[in-house]
Amino acid sequence: MDIYVLVKQVPDPEAIIKVKSDSELEIENKYFTNFFDEIAIEAGLKLKEKFGGKVTVLTVDNKKADALRRGIAMGADDAIQITDPALEGSDQLATAKALAAYLKDKPFDLIFAGRQAMDDDAGIVGPAVAELLGIPHVNTIIGLEMEDPKKEAKVIREVEGGKEILSCFLPALFTCQKGLNHPRIPQVMNVMKAMKAQIKKLDLATLGLSAADAGGQAAKIKVRKYLPPPKRPPVRMIKEDFPENLKILVKLLKEEAKVI
Amino acid sequence: MSDEIWVFAEQQEGKVRKVTFELLTAGAEFSKKTNQAVGAILLGSGLQETAKSLTSFADKIYLMDDPSLASYTSEAYLINMAPLIKEHQPSVLLGGATSTGKDLFPRLAMHLQTGYAPDCTGLAVEENGRLIANRPIYGGKVFAEMVFSEARPQMATVRNNTFLTNQNLNKSAQVIPISSKTDSSSLKMKVLGLEKAAGMKLDITEAEIVVAAGRGIKAPENFKMLEDLADVLNASVGTTRATVDEGWRDQKDQIGKSGKNISTKLYMAFGISGAIHHILGIGTCKTVVAVDTDPNALIFNYADYGIVGDLFKIIPALSEELKKALKE
Repeated sequence: MDIYVLVKQVPDPEAIIKVKSDSELEIENKYFTNFFDEIAIEAGLKLKEKFGGKVTVLTVDNKKADALRRGIAMGADDAIQITDPALEGSDQLATAKALAAYLKDKPFDLIFAGRQAMDDDAGIVGPAVAELLGIPHVNTIIGLEMEDPKKEAKVIREVEGGKEILSCFLPALFTCQKGLNHPRIPQVMNVMKAMKAQIKKLDLATLGLSAADAGGQAAKIKVRKYLPPPKRPPVRMIKEDFPENLKILVKLLKEEAKVI
Repeated sequence: MSDEIWVFAEQQEGKVRKVTFELLTAGAEFSKKTNQAVGAILLGSGLQETAKSLTSFADKIYLMDDPSLASYTSEAYLINMAPLIKEHQPSVLLGGATSTGKDLFPRLAMHLQTGYAPDCTGLAVEENGRLIANRPIYGGKVFAEMVFSEARPQMATVRNNTFLTNQNLNKSAQVIPISSKTDSSSLKMKVLGLEKAAGMKLDITEAEIVVAAGRGIKAPENFKMLEDLADVLNASVGTTRATVDEGWRDQKDQIGKSGKNISTKLYMAFGISGAIHHILGIGTCKTVVAVDTDPNALIFNYADYGIVGDLFKIIPALSEELKKALKE
């Protein structure tokens, strides 16, 4: 099977992120491979183990290719970084165009991506790549079964109030949700090897794209202003003894907060 | 500017989702400023009654009622919606930030070559029809105010409970039937079935009130008392990553960075210390109550009301207290 996994290096959930100005953020230098992308890599590796083939990790990033190294350490065969100064300020649709331009003439059977990247929390790139490639996609899968790796997959998708079971012809793109698998922890030896691995770098021109196609100028949406999260009023600790404290709480919820 | 604002009316088994009514209310509010009509676009099978439930909330209902649309797939919905959107060129297209909305909208936006703001917690429209979308990024550590290029429609998915439904919009929509364009033989995907979750509770993203406990509840069977409290409040029960990883609770109920973001009217946390992963999932809840034995628990920094105490004593007593109070 030819499997591609879309990955991204993102700030760790513990990283401190502050609004520096309307147009700039200050991000603490604590990064990790997007949580959901590791699940996507694991999904690819599991299929490779079952059916044979090759797993390629792929990112669009001007700086951090560490997610690719993580993929290699976990067991991916190949790593591609699309990088170009013109990509600064591009939106998710432009990122998708760059990825699709690379993938369009590749012999892929399946493409995996994470449910969303834990930075822009958008969840756009995966489905948008599928649209550009003209293949079906299913979001937030928590189950995957396959008998014939060239034909069809059965997937389980998380929906409100239950789990939906779908069948989908291949090639297809699936975005991966927590619960699909437990990503492997790479061995130290493999991490060392991954540090030295060759990463292929491609720019937009090599992909047949211009800045007007996939750069900041192509953005259909942009940030006008960053804002800090709305401040919560200070907590009111209810210090009276039990059970008087509960009587007070209920009264506050009813009369002050008016939420019950 | 086009003369319509559209809302994707999401239904499951013929029942329109709550968020649809919230967005139609928002659309009605925006349309007063921009002098546009509000259209609902409804797809499915056997929807005559469903369409009626929407008539007082919209000016027009574009109804695609066809057996081929009985179950949602991005493929079938896109084939049907895209030509209609191209034909009518609404200035705005809103949908719920639901599993369906988040599956369909990014693909549709790419197809239409237009901007899309996902998972918004605030929206405004300027008089010239420009949409301003406010959305949490980095798990809610930052909010981004997004604006769109000239491409139309301006698309956004919006979290449940961002707007409050106005039951008295008193519109009387004209229902416009649209014939389906699905060619079933060419479809690449098919829904085989839905495995329903046990119980009748709303998903935690849809509920107006969520009560939750973490590992502090000590054993999976102890969630029973929390479920009783939820019944009193007509609430849903949420939880933390730790209990899901332990296998005590289903992942669909996990709140936080690797789980779900909730935007409830009231959120009550019992025995949850307040790890950042969890806090990021409740950032847009309106009122937060925290109960924990540790007076220094981080959760108190994010709560409106706090009680230091033992959840095993407090949950059952609070259920009784609320029963009394809600009877009055």
